[in-house]
Amino acid sequence: MSAHSHSDKFVYHEPGLQHQFDDMGQQEESVSLGMWLFLAQEIMFFGGLFTAYLVMRSKYPLAFASGSNHLDAFLGGANTLVLIVSSLTMALTVYYAQKGNRNMQVGLIVLTMLFGLTFLGIKAYEYTDKYNHGLVPMAGLNRRVKADAPVAEHVGLVLPGETAVSASEAKPGAEPYVNPHGEFQWREYELVQHMMDKQRAEPNGHYLTLNEQLTYSTSPGSLILDKDKFRDKVRIFFYIYFVMTGLHALHMIIGLGIMTWLLWMAYKSTFNAEYFSPVEMSGLYWHFVDIVWIFLFPLLYLLGRHYEHLGL
Amino acid sequence: MAEQTTEHHNPHVEVPNEHIGIPGYLGVFTVLVVGTILTYYVALMDLDWIFPGANTLVALGIAFTKMTVVGLFFMHVRWSPRLVWMSAVGAFFWLSIMFAYTMQDYLTRGTGFFGH
Amino acid sequence: METVGAIETGSYGTAKLNYLNNGSTLKSWLLTKDHKRIAIMYLISVSVFFLMGGLYAATIRLELLTPASDLLETGTYNKVFTQHGILMVFFFLIPSIPAVLGNFLIPIMIGAKDLALPRINLLSLYIYWLGGAITLWALMQGGVDTGWTFYTPYSTTFSNTYVLAVGVGIFINGFSSILTGVNFLVTIHTMRAPGMTWFRLPLFVWAHYAVSLIFVLGTPVVAITLLLVAIERVAHVGIFDPALGGDPILFQHMFWFYSHPAVYIMVLPGMGIVSELIANFARKRIFGYEFVAFSSIGLAVFGFLVWGHHMFVSGQSMYASLVFSFLTMVVAIPSAIKMFNWTATLYQGSISFDTPMLYGLAFMGLFLIGGFTGLYLGALGLNVHLTDTYFVIGHFHYVMVGGQVIAYLGGLHYWWPKMTGKMYSEFWGRVAAMLIFVGFNLTFFPQLILGYLGMPRRYAAYPPEMQVLNIFSSAGASVLGVGLTMPVFYFIHSLIKGKPAPDNPWLLPGLEWRTSSPPPTENFDKPPVVTWEVYDFSDESGLDIEAAKREAAAVNA
Repeated sequence: MSAHSHSDKFVYHEPGLQHQFDDMGQQEESVSLGMWLFLAQEIMFFGGLFTAYLVMRSKYPLAFASGSNHLDAFLGGANTLVLIVSSLTMALTVYYAQKGNRNMQVGLIVLTMLFGLTFLGIKAYEYTDKYNHGLVPMAGLNRRVKADAPVAEHVGLVLPGETAVSASEAKPGAEPYVNPHGEFQWREYELVQHMMDKQRAEPNGHYLTLNEQLTYSTSPGSLILDKDKFRDKVRIFFYIYFVMTGLHALHMIIGLGIMTWLLWMAYKSTFNAEYFSPVEMSGLYWHFVDIVWIFLFPLLYLLGRHYEHLGL
Repeated sequence: MAEQTTEHHNPHVEVPNEHIGIPGYLGVFTVLVVGTILTYYVALMDLDWIFPGANTLVALGIAFTKMTVVGLFFMHVRWSPRLVWMSAVGAFFWLSIMFAYTMQDYLTRGTGFFGH
Repeated sequence: METVGAIETGSYGTAKLNYLNNGSTLKSWLLTKDHKRIAIMYLISVSVFFLMGGLYAATIRLELLTPASDLLETGTYNKVFTQHGILMVFFFLIPSIPAVLGNFLIPIMIGAKDLALPRINLLSLYIYWLGGAITLWALMQGGVDTGWTFYTPYSTTFSNTYVLAVGVGIFINGFSSILTGVNFLVTIHTMRAPGMTWFRLPLFVWAHYAVSLIFVLGTPVVAITLLLVAIERVAHVGIFDPALGGDPILFQHMFWFYSHPAVYIMVLPGMGIVSELIANFARKRIFGYEFVAFSSIGLAVFGFLVWGHHMFVSGQSMYASLVFSFLTMVVAIPSAIKMFNWTATLYQGSISFDTPMLYGLAFMGLFLIGGFTGLYLGALGLNVHLTDTYFVIGHFHYVMVGGQVIAYLGGLHYWWPKMTGKMYSEFWGRVAAMLIFVGFNLTFFPQLILGYLGMPRRYAAYPPEMQVLNIFSSAGASVLGVGLTMPVFYFIHSLIKGKPAPDNPWLLPGLEWRTSSPPPTENFDKPPVVTWEVYDFSDESGLDIEAAKREAAAVNA
């Protein structure tokens, strides 16, 4: 019996069974539990970010709403749908892996990856947009536009709060878009100004939270808007937006790596009714990343849409 | 709990291979798409007349529904052993501890919701 | 490896195939999936970090010999205590017992061939090395001076030391803990041998189950917190910096959400070991087994509800402080259950004072003081007086060193024969245990008094009136240092010249004593079936004590 560890290699009961397990049932149970505990870990990992989001938003709800209104809700919604479709194709991949249908597996994995790439593409487009408009919260990471740059450089740069195609003609009297150092830019104060005015008119109203009344004002309690202070809060929103979506995108990229490996395995007809747990585990991961986005979409993109009827 | 140790010696024959079939998956998919569209349009309505922040509550309600559906059917939690249920629910419970105990500080500060 | 069939089994002195001699190349160690080899590599790694942390501690105590800051200038002193804390907490205390003894023993104790996810286990070791390497690199480049707690906004805005690199090192290292936790939970759930029911698990395993829960649910939060600190440092955005609209208390909430439960990571495994030591060396079933088992889980759960007691004076709302203070008192209950049950176990037991048991008893005394001083600190009013004084330092060293390090040493002595197949010198073992106990108390008891007198922590200088107690403390530290160095020598000596260990040197019924010393690669020659209750010292345990005695005598002859 001393040769246990060596002889054991030659008495495999089933292919794919690792030496420490007695049978496939035990192996599947262990791998699945391990994956779920890993996902529990992931929930807490993103949960830390959601805590930061919760605290910051509860402190500065209006700054979050203002910032959120400058994300593209249509693209965000489209991305949600893209991820939902990819979740469907992933679920079907597991279904066909159990059936041992190689061609369907390969096709569905390719589809899933394509949707994943579409998601990342749209995300990249959104990030570029923020880069162009000076909404990246880190100095130097925004597009630099000098004051004396040729007009062509300004064209297409729609400023926060502006709708025209050219910065210099965006709004009558608007300053030209200047950002020589790539700083964070914010110019829309209509919403907060509106709320500040109403709060001043009705001191007992709930237009701003008490914390906001103190922290957006030039001096605590003055209820006169300090634009720089408000801009810092909007910057916090964009910071949280970039960290959350960035980490989510990183998970998507890791997911695509896993899918590439899975594609190769499926191509080699590795999976069948007895052995398909790698497909199932990858599916769990993919669905988890989808679920994170299901929460990110309303919590980041849709915070201030209900103020649009104010016409500001 | 003695049964549990011996349980894994026979493979999981009791778990059906086909969980809900293709029509089921498409049904779940439809729920998710409808939920997404609903989220978007509800966000456009001003629900602040109910109480400030009602919009977010509705959005979160829809998101939770979507998550539950994905979890139960796409991730097969519905057919999974109790331990899987426990790790999924447990993680959310722990997260809610973190939210609740952090917010009990912020909400009871001088500038917090219950603070004045 | 190819001559396996020729190797004799069962008789000592011949080269029986075990996990240590099953392959001797560097590759066979670095690419091993054997939990026992990984544990040995962890043992060596954490010892290196312990040594480095210890050298920093020695520097601190040297500086504090005199009231003026004459050995180190104040900036350097800040770095020294910070790095002492970081190395000891993140790279020694947290992985020490779980990754070394837990890794080695949990599969054997539950009768499995290995952990459920051996490759993940090896991965966690490499992640630990990577995180450790980055941290050490940062320390060599110039170090970090924020304190191990990385409080903002000092860490994000003002400190111009290597906060970023150290933060990344700890972030990476966190995933090593998480993977270890996942692995333990899965293993304990799915890999138990036939007949090994939940209530036949040794309490060491229960303690690790609780610790793994904290690993999985807590560690990711500190990882994301340090990531946010790192990004904020680079991007200069103000989520934690109040000058930019951020909230430093948010950092403290997120940090202590993990780091308070982490305190239980730093004592629960020790409690697991002590439960083993007390029951086995009193040769008596532990009193109230279920209560001790569930008190471990209780500590893990309640540990998540009390983090605010680190923030009583930092600006959190009074209501929150009240709630956290109350819950802190509740945590005393599971700790007290353990203490009472250990004491009741000792009552009328047939106690033998071997080296491991000396550590077990030392733990009980020291943890008692550590726990009670914790109640002082958890009381709202008293805390205002004691916050950030040496009372806090004394308190948590009583828990972490008096708890975890003492238990780790006890466990190491207890299982050393099993891990290496060699016996160490019992005489020197006892001498070292006594030196450590005396040295420890001499070091840290004066600190409790100093703190009560108002000496603040983290200062290189102090009023001259406090010098006498500081000299006591430094003198104690040198005794402690000598005591901690001795095991290194007699353990290494035992490897070279020690007597071979019998399979069951302490004549105990646990599953780990029913395989050979050191165990074969797959732990047991044939898969065990458990038919006896845990800590059963009667004949029904199926253990042939006479045979074990004969074997021990044969080895000694």
